[in-house]
Amino acid sequence: MPELMEYSKANFLLKKYGIRSVGSKYVSTAVEAVQFAKGKPIVLKAISTRALHKSKSGLIQLNLQGEVEIKKAFTALTKKAGKFKPYKMQAQHMVKNGLEIIMGGNTDPQFGKLILIGLGGIYVETFKDFALRVCPITPRDARSMLNQLKSNGIIAPDDASKKMIGELLLKVSRLFYENDISELDLNPLILHDGTYDAVDLRILK
Amino acid sequence: MKRKEKLEYADLTHILSPKSVAVIGATENPAKVGHAIMQNYIDVGFQGSVYPINIGAQGKIMGFQAYKSILDVKKPIDLAVIAIPAEFVSATIGQCAKAQVKGIVIVTSGFAEVGNQKLENALNKALSKIKIPTIGPNCLGVMDPRARNDTLFLPTYKIDRPKVGGVSFASQSGSVGSSILDLISAEGFGLSKFISYGNASMVDEVDVLNYLAHDKDTKVILYYLEGVKRGRQFIEAAKTATKLKPVVIIKGGITAQGAGAAHSHTASLAGSHEAYEAVFKQYGFITGDSLEDLLYFGKVFDTQPLTDGNRIAVLTNGGGHGVLATDAIYANGLALAEMSKRSERALRAAMPPIVNIRMPFDMSGEANATSYSKALEVLGDDPGVDAFMVIALFQTPGADENLVTTLIKFSEQKKKPMVVVSTGSAYTKSHTALMEASGVPVYDSPTAAARSLAALINYSRYKNGVEE
Repeated sequence: MPELMEYSKANFLLKKYGIRSVGSKYVSTAVEAVQFAKGKPIVLKAISTRALHKSKSGLIQLNLQGEVEIKKAFTALTKKAGKFKPYKMQAQHMVKNGLEIIMGGNTDPQFGKLILIGLGGIYVETFKDFALRVCPITPRDARSMLNQLKSNGIIAPDDASKKMIGELLLKVSRLFYENDISELDLNPLILHDGTYDAVDLRILK
Repeated sequence: MKRKEKLEYADLTHILSPKSVAVIGATENPAKVGHAIMQNYIDVGFQGSVYPINIGAQGKIMGFQAYKSILDVKKPIDLAVIAIPAEFVSATIGQCAKAQVKGIVIVTSGFAEVGNQKLENALNKALSKIKIPTIGPNCLGVMDPRARNDTLFLPTYKIDRPKVGGVSFASQSGSVGSSILDLISAEGFGLSKFISYGNASMVDEVDVLNYLAHDKDTKVILYYLEGVKRGRQFIEAAKTATKLKPVVIIKGGITAQGAGAAHSHTASLAGSHEAYEAVFKQYGFITGDSLEDLLYFGKVFDTQPLTDGNRIAVLTNGGGHGVLATDAIYANGLALAEMSKRSERALRAAMPPIVNIRMPFDMSGEANATSYSKALEVLGDDPGVDAFMVIALFQTPGADENLVTTLIKFSEQKKKPMVVVSTGSAYTKSHTALMEASGVPVYDSPTAAARSLAALINYSRYKNGVEE
């Protein structure tokens, strides 16, 4: 049975490969969360290895602005997370709206580690618009993966974004290939203003 | 059996083109597989020595000196074909090793494929002790028309044997193998090697792919695959193979693999089927959707030169087919060619006034061999044309055997790839058969022709490292 890698370790691994993730912090009280927010909107998540789908389990609240909202959400989440003990509460800066994509890795029993890119968010399961390759991939493979997507023109409308996403895909492929992990989900990765925000991260050993 | 991890391929040379063959299980009884195999060696005119082996043998079997055991032959034996009941196979393997055969084909079925794991394990144990390349069990075996070698137990009157050529065909499955083989002969393209390897107890898809990739008589590999036992080694063999020659592959038996729920979105999307697709795409295989695709793609790769360009000139003697061809071309990621001003002038001068000088180039129902010849000559030199789709409808007054000759002549120049579309029955078929026999790939629909051209172009781009 694969085991979920602890968030801070997973986040460290991301940094090691030059993949930026959105600023976040474990908080143990609502006050800490308010301090972390510094007046800006945040997201609160209850993270438990026993709950793999945070939004399905109701363990995430978005766009919390101000002390009142944050405290209220903290209380609600604490209640819901009770059945997923042990859990940790995490505060994360709210990112800009953009296009959600997914990058990830899976281990195939025959061919070993595979890397994936696809249209993300609510569309992942509906459109199943993704491209898959065997790790490690070459820059040509990365370009070919992007070209294969039906949503290619939306995800990477210009050369700069093609380059940015292609390079990110290569980094993710390296991270996945070179480490002793069996599954990886960067979902969603939010694309906006020619850059990306890795909002959520899940690594299985 | 745990296969060696490092890359080491079985050499199948002595199995495909042996100089001497022992048929273990040879018999005068026409109801037995061992009889059919012997009969085939006689029918295909095998030039080497044939040694029938049967435990009850006395004197001759089917005209050949027979032996009770392979150990009694005491002459060099390249290939042993085993066609005896499953329970006796393991013991026979040891005798083959003692007789120093250079290759074994186990035709016998009744192992893991019918749930008899005990016999399969015993066989694997026997095989693990020898270093002789062994194909099977539960397979048709091999055919090499150049070497006049044929271990298939299918009587020659029931299945046509293809002529000698450059297409090799590999199949785990015997039934898919034999039916495609039959169709290959009907399509008129020649065979280099046929390998059906069944349960793959020793020789598996990695060995087969590698052998065919390096076989100098094989120009094109057609592969019907049900599964891969050694994934990473298969990838390594594929990297080399697809750079050397086109490998057209069909994957059968798409089933869910690996029980248990997915833990992530990625895992739920990237199943076993998707993994195969990814491998095929990444390492330059040409994938088909159906068994017909093996034949469609096989003949274009066998006969036509490669091109990286996707601008297709369509010549037709029927307007409707020109429209269908245009649709099929764009549906497959190709484009209509635009002719140069120079070509326009040359064709304007050559064609009757009713013919519009534009793509698709519809020369009307009156078009004859001369019209096609002129169009192929002019557009053959046009740098804006990468390949041809020539629609030749033989129902029209102008299309006859001269058109057949014109198309064969152009194809023989190997200047630019050409596919021909001829839809029709008896009269048409009599003409297309001539073209097919002369190396012109003919299709009965623009869709099949466009798919085949797209396969050719996509492979060419992969081979030459051209971006998609």
